[in-house]
Amino acid sequence: MIMPRGQQLLLPVNPVFIWSSLLVAMVLNMVPLGRLAWTPDLLMLLLVFWSVHQPSKVGMGAAFVFGLCMDVHQAALLGQHALAYTALTYVAITFHRRLQWLTLPAQAVQVLPWFFAAHVIELVLRLLAGGIFPGWSFLLAPLLEALLWPVASFVLLAPQRRAPDRDENRPL
Amino acid sequence: MPLGTLERDAPSLFRQGPSALSRLVFFCALALFLMVADARFGLTQPLRAAVSAVLQPLQWLALQPVQAVRQAADYVESRNTAQQVEAAAKRLLVQQSLKANQVDQLMLENQRLRDLLALRQRVDTPARAAEVLYDAPDPYTRRVVIDQGLTQGIEPGSPVLDESGVLGQVTRVHPFLSEVTLLVDRDQAIPVLNTRTGVRSVAYGDPTGPAGGGLELRFTPTSADVQEGDLLTTSGVDGVYPPGLPVAKVDRVERRVDSAFARIHGAPLAQTQGARHVLVLKPGAAELPQRPASHLPATAASGAAGKKGARK
Repeated sequence: MIMPRGQQLLLPVNPVFIWSSLLVAMVLNMVPLGRLAWTPDLLMLLLVFWSVHQPSKVGMGAAFVFGLCMDVHQAALLGQHALAYTALTYVAITFHRRLQWLTLPAQAVQVLPWFFAAHVIELVLRLLAGGIFPGWSFLLAPLLEALLWPVASFVLLAPQRRAPDRDENRPL
Repeated sequence: MPLGTLERDAPSLFRQGPSALSRLVFFCALALFLMVADARFGLTQPLRAAVSAVLQPLQWLALQPVQAVRQAADYVESRNTAQQVEAAAKRLLVQQSLKANQVDQLMLENQRLRDLLALRQRVDTPARAAEVLYDAPDPYTRRVVIDQGLTQGIEPGSPVLDESGVLGQVTRVHPFLSEVTLLVDRDQAIPVLNTRTGVRSVAYGDPTGPAGGGLELRFTPTSADVQEGDLLTTSGVDGVYPPGLPVAKVDRVERRVDSAFARIHGAPLAQTQGARHVLVLKPGAAELPQRPASHLPATAASGAAGKKGARK
């Protein structure tokens, strides 16, 4: 496989790590901070991240199930998050090879419209179902998610960047 | 370097499963089906209850930091504030004790008068205390989540009050939690009575107003006698809310020349933001009298038949 020049070879990912990180993101999403439209959706961020980096392990089925969980927790329309997450994961899986050729800031710029589209899908669905317009602050959510993208990449790929065999004299 | 330490492995050539696009179409169709079943037909309650029961430990975990902060804030509340609150509570107690002492006598009097007039007796409504866990994070509705559910015997449709008035109504019951739709939600309506004039009307939720929204009395004629400061209480005509509970105070009356209706806006008395301890009443405790068995349908049917016949 062709790789971008200078990219580090990564260790195989631990599936337990993927699923536990998704669970942690869901719990963080569930922390009740009030009725704020602009809080970044961490679960959305991590689903996109893992479907870009591990498209064979995290797919649309997982996105759908996590979306249903968020719907039930938020007392939202059942299927609203499920649809947005599934569509977003599809886009991520389609573009995952192209995205990995970019630097981290460029990746963040690239994923911003995806997150924006996912939030607009949710907004349109809810307004069609007779919801209240939550105010323009909802536009901040995709922006914050895109800003968190480099952070997430740094933290979540750290376990895969370790040295394959430990050497006391050559710490990596 | 040993084998198996590299992240990149070749994907299987033949076991690919359905294509990404077909999976997308399948899951989108499933989501749309769920949305329609949820919004239009209300079929998804068992699925919601099951997912909610599974999520319960995670929700409990997510709630812990917020509750810890709440408790810490309560703990470090200054002595001054506590003393002020206590003084206010004592004043209120003195004011209320006078009324409370008279209540027994008034109830007896009321009962005799009602017996005299052969009116139906007022029914005592069984109530249950509950605590508000959090505001539902969904920004498209106005709901809160309380800590009692199906296992505690909460029924959908129950009225919910706080110490100063009606807060809303239980709209969904999960195994361990319930969702309460606030009066200011767009889909919520409550029959009210103007205590000054005795005029009945229906108040609709108006979430766009200042300070978390309010209530609106729609379709009131411009000439109606409504003033700012009027108290609206439940009228009890719906058989859900017991009569006489305070709901809102009228805070804005706009009469326009170009419209036959006045715009009347009320501020809810209950705390729609930050309520913590609430009371859940049993729905339909104020039972409506039986509808009199009328012979109207027969005549109406015959009338309709006659009309049809005439049209032919």
